[in-house]
Amino acid sequence: MSYWLKDGEDVKPDTPDPHPLLSKGGLRGGVSELKILNFKLRLSRLRRYVLFSITILFLLQFLRIKVLVGGPTASLAFWSINLINVFAFFESFAASKSITMQALTGVLPVAGIYLIFGRAFCGWCCPMDFLFEMVDKIRIQKTGDRRQNVRPLLNSPLDKGRHSGIIGYGIAAGLLAVSAILGVPFFTRYLSHLTNFFMVFNSSVFLALDLPVSKTVLIYSGSALLSLLLLEYFAPRLWCKILCPVGITYGLFNKLSLLKLRFKEGNCGECNLCEQVCYMDVKITHHLDQPGLRDTNCIYCGRCVEGCGTKGKLVSMSLRAHK
Amino acid sequence: MVGTAAILGDNPRVMASAADDPSAGPKGPLPNIGAGGLIRPPGALPEKEFRAKCISCGVCANVCHVMKYDAIAIAGFTPPSPPLAKGGIGGVLNYGTPYIKDMRDFPCGLCMECPKHCPTGALQKVEKENTAMGIALIDFGLCFGWNGDVCLSCSKACPMGAKVFDFYNGEWGNQPYINDNCVGCGLCVKYCPLGGSAIKVITKKQYETVKSSYVSGFKKLMSMPNEERYNIVYSQNLPNIMERGKLVEREYR
Repeated sequence: MSYWLKDGEDVKPDTPDPHPLLSKGGLRGGVSELKILNFKLRLSRLRRYVLFSITILFLLQFLRIKVLVGGPTASLAFWSINLINVFAFFESFAASKSITMQALTGVLPVAGIYLIFGRAFCGWCCPMDFLFEMVDKIRIQKTGDRRQNVRPLLNSPLDKGRHSGIIGYGIAAGLLAVSAILGVPFFTRYLSHLTNFFMVFNSSVFLALDLPVSKTVLIYSGSALLSLLLLEYFAPRLWCKILCPVGITYGLFNKLSLLKLRFKEGNCGECNLCEQVCYMDVKITHHLDQPGLRDTNCIYCGRCVEGCGTKGKLVSMSLRAHK
Repeated sequence: MVGTAAILGDNPRVMASAADDPSAGPKGPLPNIGAGGLIRPPGALPEKEFRAKCISCGVCANVCHVMKYDAIAIAGFTPPSPPLAKGGIGGVLNYGTPYIKDMRDFPCGLCMECPKHCPTGALQKVEKENTAMGIALIDFGLCFGWNGDVCLSCSKACPMGAKVFDFYNGEWGNQPYINDNCVGCGLCVKYCPLGGSAIKVITKKQYETVKSSYVSGFKKLMSMPNEERYNIVYSQNLPNIMERGKLVEREYR
């Protein structure tokens, strides 16, 4: 199987060698251009740099530097701007049935950011994306199966394409209802990967600094995180695609966002590489005749751009339409 | 007997575990003291609304860390204590919410930054003077000031000063009494020189249930004949204080 994209890292931008995908002769017929563009290859790395810089900004708070205080569920930027996760905002609203100015001022900048970047949070800021990628690597090593789109629930009602989206909204709405009934933000407090990641992250730093920490927090959130990683091992990105209401909420922003996947005229060799490398099971080739793609599952990770047989000549991510 | 039992327990290990479990209540003449509810950061909404609003984001705890107080910790699962058992799953509902964990080490500095920065409004902006995190209660059986000494460390540490403290000078020392104006920051708890502190902060709600017994104990002590007081001080309180003196060796961070 030569179809599967290896990480672009081992391809030197300037080497005349063909892309590893294509070197073994699987696809030559359909693809005319093999030239490798620097910036396209770096997209997956850039994504990691962004995540690591955010992590470092969060770490600075333990040195008492007031740049980014808090965690991924909500944080405080530059000691003045409140930021709150959109789904957490809705859940807090559902649980308390009232709204506060603080929450509103916190959610507006976040909504503004994602009106521009859509669901880019999932691909660029969510720590689970990185951890899931690590799990993917382990799974590929163990099973030798490079496919991202292993369909664990094939032929189940969960995996009937269009339905999966509806199920996701159903779960998100159900969680909001549970929050309203219980009177606590149920998902955000107990199940959220963001909260649990923050708890593990924060508690371990506090533990290391000999500050007050409840050990049950560390144990509970650690095991919740581990079970998510286990889920990822057996059902790749099932969490992101269907179960995670945070992502589903941000997915709604994809419908309006400025950032889109865009296609240029022609050149598509219909090799399907883009869909095969896509984490999120987005049906990219179904949208080729449209100027852009507005799938709620697209997290703008850029794997399709990198994986495209035409190397960025066809699929691209941009805020503006192509001329 | 009035004021003879240790509020906080007897040995450092017990005390440490009591601190880990915020709802555990030691036994003593003041029933259930310290049980029932966590001490919330300043400006917290009423308990039920607070739990509904709080999304466990941890901003308050980290703001507290940045401000160098480190008072706020995130609550874990706690076994339901008697007052909470009636309400059912209080220990589970409190999971992930912030509270002031141990005022002996990390009292609240009343910087009032956490309510300012709470992203959901679970903590509302409040004046320092109007904060109501809890109320500090002095154990008359352990306090130096009530047993023949002049200490007053608590009143010197108190950011509210004379507004909170009443003093009853007498033969048995300069006896401090913390009145209802206390905001519950816990600075007095930290600066009490007695091993493990003779002061404990409890929530205002909890105070309502123990107020009558506490105040009557105070009044009884004030009107007690000298011989009886002498007996209590020398036969019970001072040995207890001496015993607690060994706890000074407890490691304070």
